Amino acid sequence: MTRWGMVIDLDRCTGCAACEVACKSENNIATVSPEQADLGRTFSWMKVMAQVNGDFPDTTMRFMPRPCMQCDNPPCVKVCPVSATYLGEEGIVGQIYARCIGCRYCANACPYTVKYFNWYAPEWPETARHALNPDVSVRPKGVIEKCTFCHHRLQRAKEEARSDGRELQEEDFQPACAEVCPTTAIVFGDLDNPRHRVHELKQDPRAMRLMEELGTEPKVYYLTPRA
Amino acid sequence: MNSSVPERAGRVPSRPRPLVLGLVVLALLVAVAFAFRTPPVAQPVAFNHLNHTTDLKLDCLFCHKFVNKREHAGLPDARVCGSCHLDRAGKSAESRRVTALLTAGTPLRFNKLVRLPSHVYFSHRRHVAIGQLKCAQCHGDIATSVVPPSRPLVQIKMKVCLDCHQAKSQSLDCVACHR
Repeated sequence: MTRWGMVIDLDRCTGCAACEVACKSENNIATVSPEQADLGRTFSWMKVMAQVNGDFPDTTMRFMPRPCMQCDNPPCVKVCPVSATYLGEEGIVGQIYARCIGCRYCANACPYTVKYFNWYAPEWPETARHALNPDVSVRPKGVIEKCTFCHHRLQRAKEEARSDGRELQEEDFQPACAEVCPTTAIVFGDLDNPRHRVHELKQDPRAMRLMEELGTEPKVYYLTPRA
Repeated sequence: MNSSVPERAGRVPSRPRPLVLGLVVLALLVAVAFAFRTPPVAQPVAFNHLNHTTDLKLDCLFCHKFVNKREHAGLPDARVCGSCHLDRAGKSAESRRVTALLTAGTPLRFNKLVRLPSHVYFSHRRHVAIGQLKCAQCHGDIATSVVPPSRPLVQIKMKVCLDCHQAKSQSLDCVACHR
């Protein structure tokens, strides 16, 4: 059975934030004004978090791209009263906006804080409004949204493969962040398929998952920096 | 007069009859449903499906070119109509009007009849080319209609999709169809 997952090599990440931009563009993520951004009201399904170590001038910086962990034991799913968020058959934690009642239980239950609530109707600059991705909905005010591993790409890839009468290959389905990463720090694929790169990478001695002790069983692995 | 009956008993208003109340509620519901039903779709010409599909034996693909290739089946434009109608006008007055319109270079813009909610992803290719569904399964007897219907002939509800997916052992994952 397919289990989509991601391995992010922190040694390779340069913090360029191309993944963040690609994600926002792919998934119709609303922009907010600079004033709203100062209040922390930005949406970042994929967020590159930065950490500064040491004191000037001996400082180093570490970056950690953080998408939804797509947990195998997702705390958000357990608290959703309307099954708007659920664990799909291929391991992707789906978010059905039309079903969401905006109770925000899931946002509070998520230990990774990857769920975003639309307090306001989404806004885009006039020029960007015509460039929205038709495969992704525009979320209305009052619902939760989050990273979906670009599942709309999966639907397309499956259709393409079935139309050609062949099996789905690793390169057929890549989320926007993995596709755009210039240093290939983000690797995506089927964790259970030995032909996919992530299958081997997740067994690397450097591999770890965020807050593993919580038992959420995330499907996003990080390869910790060597030094 | 019986003194045990209080004097104001006669002034107690009679309880509304359940039948009248029911009718009022029903009328309200009908009015609300009427107000919120899908608006009628008008077409630039009174296209006769029956004539084209049965008499002329044209395939659906002749006009809906992308039904096997893309999400949207596509609607014919003036070029498609013109490939026949520019050379010769049909017998009916409407057909002659089409020829006149096309000769004058008027663009024909047919309007989509079936519109799915914005949170639904539907691909014609997935259902027609891969799933081998017949058009009539979702579109009803559109191929034999004589005048363009102003509303879809079949109401496509989620239950219809789910029943079919279940019967054909297809994905029931919400994100397979929901955007």
